[in-house]
Amino acid sequence: MIIEAHDLRKTFHAKRGRGKKEEVEAVRGIDLQVERGEVFAVLGPNGAGKTTTVRMLATFTLPTSGSARVAGFDVAREAAKVRENIGYVSQAGGVDDTAPGIESLLLAARISGMSRRQAQARADELLAAFSLTEIANRPAKTLSGGQKRRFAIAVGLVNAPPLIFLDEPTTGLDPQNRANLWDEVRKLREQGTSVLLTTHYLDEADALCDRLVIVDHGRIVARGTPEELKKEVAGDVVTLRLEDTDGARQLLDAQPYVKEVRAEPGVVRAYLDDGEHGLMHMLRTLEENGLGIRSVSLERATLDDVFLKHTGRSLRDAA
Amino acid sequence: MTRHTMLFLGYELRKLFANPVWPLFGIMQPVLYLVFFAPLLRSTVPGGKMTDVLAMFTPGSMMMIALFGSMFAGFGMINETRNGMLERLAVSQAWRPAIILGRLVKDVIVLVLQAILVIGIAALMGLRIGLPEMLLVLLLMAATGLFAASLSYGLALTLRDENGMSQLVQFFAMPLTLIAGLFLPVSLGPQWLQTLAKFNPLYYAVEAGRSLFRGDLSAETIPVAFALFAALTALTLVWSVRSLRNLAG
Ligand SMILES: Nc1ncnc2c1ncn2[C@@H]1O[C@H](COP(=O)(O)OP(=O)(O)O)[C@@H](O)[C@H]1O
Ligand SMILES: [Mg+2]
Repeated sequence: MIIEAHDLRKTFHAKRGRGKKEEVEAVRGIDLQVERGEVFAVLGPNGAGKTTTVRMLATFTLPTSGSARVAGFDVAREAAKVRENIGYVSQAGGVDDTAPGIESLLLAARISGMSRRQAQARADELLAAFSLTEIANRPAKTLSGGQKRRFAIAVGLVNAPPLIFLDEPTTGLDPQNRANLWDEVRKLREQGTSVLLTTHYLDEADALCDRLVIVDHGRIVARGTPEELKKEVAGDVVTLRLEDTDGARQLLDAQPYVKEVRAEPGVVRAYLDDGEHGLMHMLRTLEENGLGIRSVSLERATLDDVFLKHTGRSLRDAA
Repeated sequence: MTRHTMLFLGYELRKLFANPVWPLFGIMQPVLYLVFFAPLLRSTVPGGKMTDVLAMFTPGSMMMIALFGSMFAGFGMINETRNGMLERLAVSQAWRPAIILGRLVKDVIVLVLQAILVIGIAALMGLRIGLPEMLLVLLLMAATGLFAASLSYGLALTLRDENGMSQLVQFFAMPLTLIAGLFLPVSLGPQWLQTLAKFNPLYYAVEAGRSLFRGDLSAETIPVAFALFAALTALTLVWSVRSLRNLAG
């Protein structure tokens, strides 16, 4: 187990102007177990407490209560040991804009204890691995978002840590750079590095992670492999657009092949295990009862459906 | 610990050498004062000799860079509280005080080099100063700069706001320099000003500088100034290193 967290909590005392203080319960009791070699995702909307959780695990922020062991060491009492064994790439990246990227990389290498020669060798290795060699000497402020992000990750990996934290690694990147970054994360897994990443993109968690937790308002609302979680809601989801959503919901709820029905104004979503067969029955039943539909679509259930089931909101709207 | 301080120092110096023109701008102001303002002061010193004018005026213009230059030292760090750099360093294996100490040493090196240039220019204009006095003046400047810079890093990490910080620095720097008698000794002024100046640490630095430039090594403002700035630097340094912790919220 590379990460073991028990009931982690963090309450901030934020200033709210004119000396008034406001308590923000950013994290309200999080339990995590991450195996060695796993890519583990923390999925949740903005403000869910993802960054705060990662910051506590990476020894940046002290938990208000609860405990966590990272790489076998306690984050509060053995922070120095934890730091030797992790890489941390914050949401903001943390590459010095005012110097060439290579300088950030070399400094980080030297800080982790390498000699000048070792640092140079390690930097060359990482520059090659992340295709950064040609832009290594350009001031970081002239780099694109994707290039800067790759530098940030290279810096995080400089001490070849067994575990790396990536906080929202693809936020703000274009689709091409996102895809490239996903490949980098997969490479890390192949090399045996454990990865804990946070994201608010469903497809990212789905495509990348072995296991995940879904967090909302500082709590874990679901955990498992992407497949397990999706199976929990059902294999497929039929989305119907129509007028009489209440009527349709009652009708579909009574059908044995439908596992669950959710209605929003103008939209009904029905979860079922075998969509191809179920859809035919469903359309016939609706027609027999005189419920006219405007459109229909059949899709595989996504992690958004999991989020919807547990929070009553869609992750797309939750932010 | 020293190793990490040296690493951060090296990093900062490399950045500086990649773009060495900015510190030159920093000495423009004192040099302009020396060239255009000092001659106006000839009537204020008995005998009106330029050498005496310079001995009185150069320390003030040096303290000007020590104070104004260094008070903005932390400015660049404000951005680093936002762009994740300090966050990353805080969870790296770096010895935390080194993050600030490395920069401080760089600031002091730059300051001393600037000061040597200013003394050089004053010497061309007729200033005469002995080597031990000059070394002591440089040391005094380093102490003043160390204090102002560590205050600046503490402010940067506490305020984390460029606007607020520049307002605050201006707000304090102006009265501090006026009440220190930076350009003209406060002894020329009324009693209340002289009394007020006794509460301003900068006053002792400027007065000690003047004594050194006059070659008066026995002046009591000299040990007072050194002791004062050593203590103040220790305080502000501890404060600024502690402020690093506040980043975590
Ligand atoms: N340093 C801080 N001081 C006060 N409140 C904070 C601080 N950091 C985070 N918060 C608050 O805690 C909550 C969770 O924030 P965060 O962990 O950044 O969420 P996420 O990364 O999931 O978007 C938010 O309401 C945020 O405003
Ligand atoms: Mg975040």
